[in-house]
Amino acid sequence: MDKDLHLAHHISRRFNAELEELRSDVLAMGGLVEKQLADGLVALTTSDTEIAEQVATSDYKVNSMEVAIDEKCNQILARRQPAASDLRLVVTIIKTITDLERIGDEAEKLGQLAVQITDANVSYSQFVEIRHLGDHVKSMLHDCLDAFARMDVADAMRTIEADKKINEEFESIMRQLITRMMEDPREIKNALRVSWCARALERIGDHSSNICEYIVYLVEGKNIRHISDVKLSQEMA
Amino acid sequence: MVETDINMRTELMESTQVQSVDRSDTKVADMKQQVNATIGEPFAKDPKMQARQVNVYYGNKQAIFNVSLDLGKNEVVALIGPSGCGKSTFLRCMNRMNDTIPICRVEGNITLDSEDIYADAMDPVLLRARVGMVFQKPNPFPKSIYDNVAYGARLHGLAFNKAELDEIVITSLQKAGLFDEVKDRLHEPGTGLSGGQQQRLCIARTIAVSPEVILMDEPASALDPIATAIIEELIDELRQNYTIAIVTHSMQQAARVSQRTAYFHLGKLVEIGETNQIFTNPKHELTENYITGRFG
Amino acid sequence: MNNTELIKKGLPKRYRREKRFRLYGMMAVMVGFIFLLILLTDIISKSLPAFSQHWIQLEVQFDPDVLGVAADAEGKALRHANYRAILKRAIRAEFPDVSKRRDKSKLAALISSSAEYELRDMLIEQPYLLGKAKTVWVRADDDLDTYYKTADKANAVRLTEKQIAWADRLQENNLIESRFNSTLFSDGDSREPEQAGIRGALVGSLYTLLVTLLLSFPLGVSTAVYLEEFAPKNRWVDLIEVNINNLAAVPSIVFGLLGLAVFINYFGLPRSAPLVGGLVLTLMTLPTIIIASRSAIKAVPPSIRQAALGIGASKTQTVFQHVLPLAMPGILTGTIIGLAQALGETAPLLMIGMVAFIVDIPQGFVDSATVLPVQIYLWADSPERAFVAKTSAAILVLLIFLVVMNGLAVFLRKKFERSW
Repeated sequence: MDKDLHLAHHISRRFNAELEELRSDVLAMGGLVEKQLADGLVALTTSDTEIAEQVATSDYKVNSMEVAIDEKCNQILARRQPAASDLRLVVTIIKTITDLERIGDEAEKLGQLAVQITDANVSYSQFVEIRHLGDHVKSMLHDCLDAFARMDVADAMRTIEADKKINEEFESIMRQLITRMMEDPREIKNALRVSWCARALERIGDHSSNICEYIVYLVEGKNIRHISDVKLSQEMA
Repeated sequence: MVETDINMRTELMESTQVQSVDRSDTKVADMKQQVNATIGEPFAKDPKMQARQVNVYYGNKQAIFNVSLDLGKNEVVALIGPSGCGKSTFLRCMNRMNDTIPICRVEGNITLDSEDIYADAMDPVLLRARVGMVFQKPNPFPKSIYDNVAYGARLHGLAFNKAELDEIVITSLQKAGLFDEVKDRLHEPGTGLSGGQQQRLCIARTIAVSPEVILMDEPASALDPIATAIIEELIDELRQNYTIAIVTHSMQQAARVSQRTAYFHLGKLVEIGETNQIFTNPKHELTENYITGRFG
Repeated sequence: MNNTELIKKGLPKRYRREKRFRLYGMMAVMVGFIFLLILLTDIISKSLPAFSQHWIQLEVQFDPDVLGVAADAEGKALRHANYRAILKRAIRAEFPDVSKRRDKSKLAALISSSAEYELRDMLIEQPYLLGKAKTVWVRADDDLDTYYKTADKANAVRLTEKQIAWADRLQENNLIESRFNSTLFSDGDSREPEQAGIRGALVGSLYTLLVTLLLSFPLGVSTAVYLEEFAPKNRWVDLIEVNINNLAAVPSIVFGLLGLAVFINYFGLPRSAPLVGGLVLTLMTLPTIIIASRSAIKAVPPSIRQAALGIGASKTQTVFQHVLPLAMPGILTGTIIGLAQALGETAPLLMIGMVAFIVDIPQGFVDSATVLPVQIYLWADSPERAFVAKTSAAILVLLIFLVVMNGLAVFLRKKFERSW
């Protein structure tokens, strides 16, 4: 199913190195974003203010990485005029880093919310579901980056599937929160904060799913975004 | 924990690389068999010229293997491929320029408007009037600009008086986008023009006989980028009235001017398809390797 | 030591070598130039005497008695009159003191034998001169002429002392003068050097060359075009090519033998005729023209052929409308060089009888004729001293012709040469 990309087979060795560097940069950025997410979740669940603040303030690293990778992509486009799989790789990376940067933003949001929630002294029980959702999202992002590293379409497709489950979980958390808010209007403020956390996690899932779609485009040359499941299964057949 | 993840992933990446290299070695054998069948759609909806199962031999050496390909009306088909892949040879079959090489033998069927161009009934002189050719090196005759363009019309008796001939020369030069540059020196030698102008003069000379198909054999390979851009713009305009096939070594040029692209490799038509598809997502590994600059 | 220093060290040696090589080249050119200069000086200095001729003034009495004709004789009767006698009388009149019979004949020998024919022609033209006296200029004999032109008078003189004294007397009386020798260009060959000219040979050469040009140019160019553009590439064509190249190297006398055997013995064409000479020279020139034309045709860039074919010109149209016009300067150069070669050729013409002694100027292609180089050969063989100068003069004329032809070749090449 998956095609070889042979990134290292160019006649120009410098081009090989450039593409290789680009890919490892993206993976490094992915790793950083993953760490941000993990830290955000820790801050949220352990009410560790120090970690929470660290998450909230270190988003600039992700941003600067995005800018640097973007610049490299532009240079490759201008100087190498890549075609076919090289072109798809560069385009995929440009899009992937945008999504990664957004994930970073969401993680930052988690950190900020963690600080606020800690101040508000929200009861621990509300975080069980969030933690569960957070674990799912974390593993989804992990799988997504693995799929990117391997250029593995099957992994990517599985990860896209996983996003549905996350959406369901998000829905169920929202329902719970609504119930809670109706039971006790004093809890509305905290419930909203928790819902924002859930929302951020759900967005991270969406972004990861996007990245996986790019991976499919990169490897297969097919655009599977915004199409129905039926058509998708036809496409991938 | 996350740090180790990154390291692990980088290793993962490297291991896939190694793996893929291994796989490519085993694939070479399959690939060679695959070459025999063309990938993609070689047929056009509204064909002007059709080539079917064309084999070309130079003496005992086969240069083209079983190539089938259509040139559709009002489209530009780019033929790309490494040197010696037979793309120029194939192009020359389309107006029987290969006839001039005694050891060259063409098998198969090539038609122009469903007429077999290799049939006895088809006169090669008439065929070449209908299927014009522009060559790699600008080759104006060492005559005046006017005489260069008028040559074909005079040869085939297309003009009955001086006024008609003037008309043909002027419209051809206009179509080739050269008229404004040379209108004051129509009677100066064509060889005194710049390279790009000479090539446009050659195109004007070709379209002066009102061909239906224009074959171009690397028409811009001897020109600078500006002259190349002008020629490419011209090709795009000519597409409205002519069917065009262009052989080029510049993949960017193929990508810019053509609607369909055919990739030749060792005398075989490996892949043909919409230019958009060929340059973003080629199906055959040989095509991929060629247009991305990899060694296969 | 690094590379820069190594290269620097070797540089003077390399430059010295270059300089040395250039010097060798210049020396080679100089040597060639000096030889040419020597040759030209020699020829020109030797030929100078041939361009002048001494004339003697005599008071001739057209006495019918001495002439041995009737007083009212006309036309044919005058043709066989004794003009020698009136000449003898005229010169004796200048030297009344000469009385011995031997001296008298020596005295008459100062006058060219051509003088009597000139007097005859004059009298036939102007019969009223009969019985009257007229002052005429007659050519001096070649011995006397040579005496005046030779610096080394002591050794190289065939005149007796008496004759020299008479001549001196004539000169004192201003009865001898030197004039431009127009005979050289207006007359044919003669046994007498003072009457010999190159006109016959020149006209013969022209006729011969004309025949050669008319035959060899179309034949050679057609052959070249066919071989280069139309002939299939097979063993026969290769064989023909080898043979043509071989013919170019065959000694020219062989062509003469061939011409003798085929044109004269088999076809019965007249001997010594420019027609046969032209045929033989055509055989000799053809390979040169074919080879030159082929390389000129080959040098036409294939892109021009493709352009014409691509527009729909037929093969023949391509060749005649594009290839030949572009190859023409080269073809013309080759032709002229071939003709120049033919102009200077002697050996094959000896075989077909063009070496004969021919006095008359040829009037057509089948008249007996000789050509310039053969004339030179003939004169070089003659014993009379005056012919040495004539030979050189003829060589000079031949050289001038060659220079003109080669100049024409350069001119044509420059004129028709086109760039692409």
